[in-house]
Amino acid sequence: MTSLRFKVLSRRFILCLLWIFAAAVQAQSESTTVDVIQQSSKQWQQTLKAAQGQSVYFYAWGGSKAVNDYLRWATREIARQYRIRLIHVKVTDPSEPVSRLKAENGRTSAIDLIWVNGENFAYLKQQGFLMGNLWATIPNSSNLAVDKLPITVDFGEPMEGFEVPWGIGQFNLIAEKALYPAQQLSAASLLDVAKNHPQTVTYPRPPEFHGTTFLKQLLIDLSHGDPRLYQLASEQAKSELLPALWQYLDKLHPHLWQQGLAFPSSSAEQFLLYQQKNLSMAVSFNPNQWLKEKSTQQISESSERRYFTHGAITNSHNLAIPKHAPNSEAAKVVINFMLSEKAQREKFSGVWGDPSVITTLFDEKATMPAHPELHSSWHVVIEDIWQQKYGG
Amino acid sequence: MLEVIDCQIEAKTWCITLPDIQVHKGELLVVTGPSGIGKSTLLHWLLGNNPQHVSIKGQIILSGANITDLPIEQRQVGLLMQDVLLFPHLDVQDNICFALPKSQQLSSKKQRRAAAMDLLEQINLAHLAVRYPQNLSGGERSRVGLIRALANQPQVMLLDEPFAALDPNTRQQMGAWAFQQLAQQDIPSVMVSHDVEDIPVSAQQLCLADYYHVLESNNQ
Amino acid sequence: MATKVRRLGLVCGWSLVAGISMLPILGIVVGLWPQEPLTFAGFESFLGYQGLTTSIVMTLLTAILSSLISLYIAFVVYSQYHLSQRLQSFEKYLAPLLSMPHLAIAIGLVFLFSDGSIFFVDSGLPRKGLATLTLTIVIKEVPFFLLIFSALGRQLPIKNWLLQGKALGYQAYRCWWFLVFPPLLKQSRLALLAATAYTLSVVDVSLLVGPNIPELFAVSVYRWQTSFADGDQVLGFWSNVLLLLLLVVSVSLLYAHEKLAFAGCKSLATQGRRFLVGRISPIFKAWIPLSGVLTALMILVFVLWSLGYDWHSSRPSFSQLSTVLWRDEWLFFALPLQNSLLIAGLAGLLGVALALLALELQRQRGQYWPDYYWLLAIILPQLSMVLGWQILHIWLQGGYHSGWIVLSHLPFTFAYGYLVLKGPFQNVDERYELLAASFGYSLWQSWWLVRFRLLLPAIFTGLAIAFSVSVAQYIPTIMIGAGRVTTITTEAVVIGTGSQQNLIALYVLLQSILPFMAFFIAALLARRFRGSVGG
Repeated sequence: MTSLRFKVLSRRFILCLLWIFAAAVQAQSESTTVDVIQQSSKQWQQTLKAAQGQSVYFYAWGGSKAVNDYLRWATREIARQYRIRLIHVKVTDPSEPVSRLKAENGRTSAIDLIWVNGENFAYLKQQGFLMGNLWATIPNSSNLAVDKLPITVDFGEPMEGFEVPWGIGQFNLIAEKALYPAQQLSAASLLDVAKNHPQTVTYPRPPEFHGTTFLKQLLIDLSHGDPRLYQLASEQAKSELLPALWQYLDKLHPHLWQQGLAFPSSSAEQFLLYQQKNLSMAVSFNPNQWLKEKSTQQISESSERRYFTHGAITNSHNLAIPKHAPNSEAAKVVINFMLSEKAQREKFSGVWGDPSVITTLFDEKATMPAHPELHSSWHVVIEDIWQQKYGG
Repeated sequence: MLEVIDCQIEAKTWCITLPDIQVHKGELLVVTGPSGIGKSTLLHWLLGNNPQHVSIKGQIILSGANITDLPIEQRQVGLLMQDVLLFPHLDVQDNICFALPKSQQLSSKKQRRAAAMDLLEQINLAHLAVRYPQNLSGGERSRVGLIRALANQPQVMLLDEPFAALDPNTRQQMGAWAFQQLAQQDIPSVMVSHDVEDIPVSAQQLCLADYYHVLESNNQ
Repeated sequence: MATKVRRLGLVCGWSLVAGISMLPILGIVVGLWPQEPLTFAGFESFLGYQGLTTSIVMTLLTAILSSLISLYIAFVVYSQYHLSQRLQSFEKYLAPLLSMPHLAIAIGLVFLFSDGSIFFVDSGLPRKGLATLTLTIVIKEVPFFLLIFSALGRQLPIKNWLLQGKALGYQAYRCWWFLVFPPLLKQSRLALLAATAYTLSVVDVSLLVGPNIPELFAVSVYRWQTSFADGDQVLGFWSNVLLLLLLVVSVSLLYAHEKLAFAGCKSLATQGRRFLVGRISPIFKAWIPLSGVLTALMILVFVLWSLGYDWHSSRPSFSQLSTVLWRDEWLFFALPLQNSLLIAGLAGLLGVALALLALELQRQRGQYWPDYYWLLAIILPQLSMVLGWQILHIWLQGGYHSGWIVLSHLPFTFAYGYLVLKGPFQNVDERYELLAASFGYSLWQSWWLVRFRLLLPAIFTGLAIAFSVSVAQYIPTIMIGAGRVTTITTEAVVIGTGSQQNLIALYVLLQSILPFMAFFIAALLARRFRGSVGG
């Protein structure tokens, strides 16, 4: 239920833990350059004062009861602490607010706060639709675990204060223990499962984001993490690395659900098929979804979390304020609250289970070994060739 | 008294120039002629429903007043057509209520219903009051139709092939009954018919064919 | 003076009707206006998209075939029910099926009949495929056509036609095809157009049960248009242009079908030959009971899901059922439900009133405009059209209250109102008004007391359809209201993108409640108030 719909969210390039040192160095340099204001500073007190009585229209995906329930909790807390009305405007797709900001084209916005990442963020940033300088003007951003998590760059696009990390996504499978006994999963072992238990394996149809990420994980495995995957895809690299993936898929597809002649349209649909016991596995970007679903008896007790041998592809999901948001002060107060220890703890340990992004709550156990994103050029190449080979 | 003066019906290829007509109270004028010659057109013109494909000129004088340019609703004419056209959404009583004059004495629903009931009782059709038109026989429908038309106390009554849809037996009875009713009303009536048997002996006749001219067409 | 007032009224009326009917064109022009200069390269990359041709052919075929199949089935079913006294009020049995959203039927269908289904052995119905999609659409559209036929039938002397036909020595089933089918087909042309346009551009149902190798065209259009990755917006533009073209093609195909069917019926009728193909089989009498059972099963499934019943647990039992979800969500769905009721009530009423106005104005002019003009709101690609409205609405800076939402629903309720009312309106015998005038009623009075009154049953049907169309609107509600005005549909659609079965089921049920009430009440009222042919 907490499967975050990254759908169209991140398409570009993000930094991950393989580059953890590089990232840490970069982040540290950033955190030293960014001067975060203090909770007690005059400027923040002014923001708090201005924010009182304002309403914040928060545009966020509303398909998950867990997220909705979390936001209902946050709404109550924020109303009590700051006298701000947080209103969750539920959207079906993260592109809805983007399309609205594009239509507004710089006029006073209906949106005060958005949940965003990936290509939508890149687009909004490039178009100049976002308010900058958020990290510096929101006190709690000093809590962000920039030295432990890849959260300063969103899919290759540096955040540069135009968005603030809120939570972490890691690609994993929710799978039947009996069929997937090992914690880790390789391309070869997946093929074995598909052969021995035909019709129980599938993945969302690319270019759905989970589906493309699934292919990326296979490519990493099949090329043994070739370093060229993290650079601009050259013709040579493409011709050397990709055939292995297509040969693998040629072998895999006949054993897939519906013999690979149809795919689930989304990770949510695949999850429902898993729930109805039509599949032996589902895909998720929430590392703790399996636990939460089990605790509410949505999936069988025998469900386990599995990830690919080279580690789970990891990225962040973030909060941003439109440049022309009418209630930007209150929106900043909301972000500040979302980064507080209380809010981050509730997010992780409550119904949602989304990992924390702040230093004090950073928990190795909550996350899986992380793997960096491929260079964004691979993303496009994989989607295009997949469409040509299998999509028509 | 109904007078029609200088009346001319003009179509593309033909025209009919009528003599002046006078129909006195209690009298019946029957318009005859082969079908398609414009009998109904003339009747509808009297009603106030001007035809689209032919032009009619002339003056209509009713009880001394020129009504030629009045809209239908101000002419006070009664109309009975072959299909009767009782309103299907109203029962018999309400069909008559609908037609009653809009006067002070008949302002409440109760008064109107009572008046309608009186009319039905006069013709011994009170038992039909709550029936819907779909459940009436052809003869009953025609009777109700005529009573409905008369309920409005028209200054003139127009009948367009009123009995054509009835079977021969009913038709004769209905005819006799209808003309008796009309005579009691003491108003002029105009009836269109192509069936000689429908025409009572006392009626004046106007055969349109007698006044029919073929126009000399330019394109011949 | 009177003529001046009348002329003023006419001008006002025409500008109102023109305003509403122009909104779709305005929207599509503004919404599709290319943001970036159009390049040949963009067009080329669009044409080069793998599977485009197959996708287009599949989409077009499904759209045309599913609506035609629905039409024919509905006609046969209608012919079975029309004359039977006992079954005449079948409309009220249609209410549950009419009120279920397409998506709910798709969910129910695959759950009940596809592989891994609970109640039945695998029926061979694919989880995803043209067959499943077509079946879903047919199940949903047949009651819609039945409703249209029934609204038309109240105004047509079908009984007399059949009598005449039989008197001339034709069996009943032949009379239906020779005498009743042609006029009915002609008058339900608008409904056929609407159904086809719907299937052509439907996204949610296609995503769930449509084939996706390749995906249906509407899905690609939606994906490109909502993607902000490099190049996708350009693809989105061209795909919308092509979608418009497909709509034109399907309109002409439907006209061609009508001509052919007409010619066919005519030649068969004039030849007086035996007509074997069209023998109306009484088995179609079973259609309504069967779909009733199907709907009941689906509702049962949704109710059980919403109560937390789990078919897939190792020991499913009814003791696990609990109303906790209903109690939890009550606080949150009460307001959206109320919003839906108010918005749909107002939009439905205004839409039908405007449709009547448009019809009356055309009647007075003695000339009717082409049907597709009035149906543009239904026919044009919704996303682009509403995007145009959104841009205009933002430009006007009028705020985000329900009034705007009602306005944004109006073109749709108007179009559906027009669709339902056009046939019945034209079938009202003008002489009734003539008679009323002879009794001294003015033009306006006789319109109101006679024409309106005779149309009342059709108006109820129109109101129910317009109401449920407004309830079902997602894109205009979210795009014009900026998501601030929540309706039961905006909630349900959002929940539908998630993966929590019990919540999805709960909202599907909630979404069906309002339309169900509307259809049920309309069916009861339509029966109470007789039309011009009556019971």
